[in-house]
Amino acid sequence: MKKLVALILAASMAMGMVACGGNTTPTESGSPNTQNTSAESKNEETKGEQQVLEFYHGYYHAESEWPAAKVMRDIYDEFAKQHADGPVAFKPIPVEKRDEIVSAKVAGGSFPDIVDMGIALPQSAISQKLILDLKPYIDANNLKDAVGLNYTQNNIDGAIYTVHDQIETRGLWVNTEVLKTAGVSVEDLSTWKGFVDSMAKVTEKKNGNYGYASGQGSLKMLYAYLGSTEDGRKLLSSEISADVINSETFANAFKTIARMDQVNGSEYATPDVGNLMADFNQNGKVAVLSNGVWNASGIDEKFAEAIQPIIFPENVSMATAGTGLTVAANMSKEKTDLALEFIKYMTSEEVQTKIFLGVQANPCNTTLDLNALAEQSGDPIVKKLALACSLCNKAQTVVSDVSYKWGADVGNAITNALMECANANTNIDARFEQLQKELTALIG
Amino acid sequence: MTTVKQKNHTTVSKQEWRRRGFIIAFLAPTLLAFCIFYLYPLLTVFFTSFCKWDYTNITNPQFWGFADMFNNYKYIFTTYPYFWEALLNSTFWALLGIFFQIPLATIIALAFSRKIKGIKLIRNIYIIPCMISSAALGMIFLQLYSPLYGIINPIIQIFNPEFSGNILLQKGTAFWAMTGAYIFFTGTTTLMILGNIMAVPEEIREAAMLDGASGLKQDFLITIPMIKNTLKTVSILAATSGFLLYNEVFFLTRGAAGTYSISYVIRELAINSPRSQFGRANTVAFIQIIAGMLIILFVNVVYEIPSLCKKLRRN
Repeated sequence: MKKLVALILAASMAMGMVACGGNTTPTESGSPNTQNTSAESKNEETKGEQQVLEFYHGYYHAESEWPAAKVMRDIYDEFAKQHADGPVAFKPIPVEKRDEIVSAKVAGGSFPDIVDMGIALPQSAISQKLILDLKPYIDANNLKDAVGLNYTQNNIDGAIYTVHDQIETRGLWVNTEVLKTAGVSVEDLSTWKGFVDSMAKVTEKKNGNYGYASGQGSLKMLYAYLGSTEDGRKLLSSEISADVINSETFANAFKTIARMDQVNGSEYATPDVGNLMADFNQNGKVAVLSNGVWNASGIDEKFAEAIQPIIFPENVSMATAGTGLTVAANMSKEKTDLALEFIKYMTSEEVQTKIFLGVQANPCNTTLDLNALAEQSGDPIVKKLALACSLCNKAQTVVSDVSYKWGADVGNAITNALMECANANTNIDARFEQLQKELTALIG
Repeated sequence: MTTVKQKNHTTVSKQEWRRRGFIIAFLAPTLLAFCIFYLYPLLTVFFTSFCKWDYTNITNPQFWGFADMFNNYKYIFTTYPYFWEALLNSTFWALLGIFFQIPLATIIALAFSRKIKGIKLIRNIYIIPCMISSAALGMIFLQLYSPLYGIINPIIQIFNPEFSGNILLQKGTAFWAMTGAYIFFTGTTTLMILGNIMAVPEEIREAAMLDGASGLKQDFLITIPMIKNTLKTVSILAATSGFLLYNEVFFLTRGAAGTYSISYVIRELAINSPRSQFGRANTVAFIQIIAGMLIILFVNVVYEIPSLCKKLRRN
């Protein structure tokens, strides 16, 4: 009897293992390498069951933690509701680590049905033809204005693989009261020389205020600095290479920002500007914050008058379409159609208005009159957001965040070098030479 | 007679086969799981470390060829800018685990084993920080080290009033700041050691007491030698967790000021790089596995030193 029970137990354990090993995700869209999975999906489809289009996004936060996440989830749910009875069900899945999911799937030769990506588009996904070129659909449906900056910035050799419904738009936020205390005006910040001198004046005061949060913010300033000259813009438009790393323009930009960071002080250097954001938005101790237009919603009421948006010196702003909604290739026609319809839905005026008013981000659709929408809403935060967006959109030079192109590892190496330069005892020239070596090795 | 013997032999053989069958049946799921979840990834890491495997051929790693099979190793050892820094840091954190964290945990466990009023409460309080994730601890330490709000800078300023820098951005201090963010959290290790101390038979202690051995002498001559195997195990755990440090690096410095760790380097190569350098990342991972084995060997050698010394003295 004991033997029989033991045998049954062992057999059931083995069966369990086999069952776990054979599990596959029928909705996963794979390359030709995952034909079995696709075949299984097709079998299921032919059974007449409703197909499912899985959509991974990063708005997993509780409403109390980040209200904008709830707005985005509601937008997605609305689309899901509209297609609940169709041949394909739309299933939004909020996840914290969507980028890890993408990386893992791409490494395995597949891609999620549709994902709102947060990292640079993996080259490998393109080279394996795992993702769908959205350009034919955008052109056929006259969505060029709806996708806005995505149309040009995300055009890779004539194909558009990703559409971000929000444009990552960056400029500067200034506290006019802090500037005034240091004897500086907003106009002084319109040139890099004026900006550098002004930040030094704020620091010299030693009244508990400081110039700006360096580190991550300095990296954006470095890119903006490069955008202020013709040579710099050439660097920003090219791939990272030994020529870029060893160019005089790059050296000059790095050293200018590094020297400014050193005067500003290492105590205000951080790899994540979020760590010092409260000093600007809630405590009113900082003159300048290098952050996106979305910072409008974080400003404390008591500083609503004092804090104003401006753009980078020399009339430069930063607008990056970046990565966003990316659709898998090799899906069934029904699923592909629904995914494309979702792109149209997300870039529609109706949804883009919701994104602007509810999420308080710069929408990608260029047909919206942001100032008019802000006036209609009457919300002072939205008005400030509209002002920040229009300033950035109308800047003489609009550059993109080149970290998306050069890579997060390159961006991280430059940020680390800048943060180390913020120390008073760091030799900036020597640290730059070391950075050049690091970057050369990284791209090797 | 022969037939009976043969019958007996056949029965024994059948029984033996049944026994073996049962053993195999029970071991099979575990072996299968081991092969799928441990052996296969290990072999993949090993073989792909000799392959070109990046964004250009993500689903099809290609062997470099025998002439260039060490290409990835060559790049990691001679070109990649953070490898040696990361290896040195990780090795040092592993050594600190063995020679600082474990002695500290042992001392605390010995103190907790004393029969003092309120010791149970202190024990429970001591274990609380172990329930905080290392990511959350990273954030807490980021605040502690902040030159604006933290408590570390004011302490330094007592000795050096001019000091105003960020200790996380200065080479040298950043390493120690990183170490301080995890090394004192010995709760789990302490509990494991304490459990073993409690298991030491009371009669042995009483006998030692009758022989006139003080509390400290009992600890050194009886308790510690009796829990040697546990100490060896927790030393391996502490050393490997020090060697694999990642969260603290990510939250505190992201590798700035010479604080890269081996685990962080793997992420940089595989995930952060848009070139998805899986082959090179796996090379570092394989080096990490070898280093892990060396750590286990080293710990074993360290714990064998007293017995070796004894043997030498006898000879």
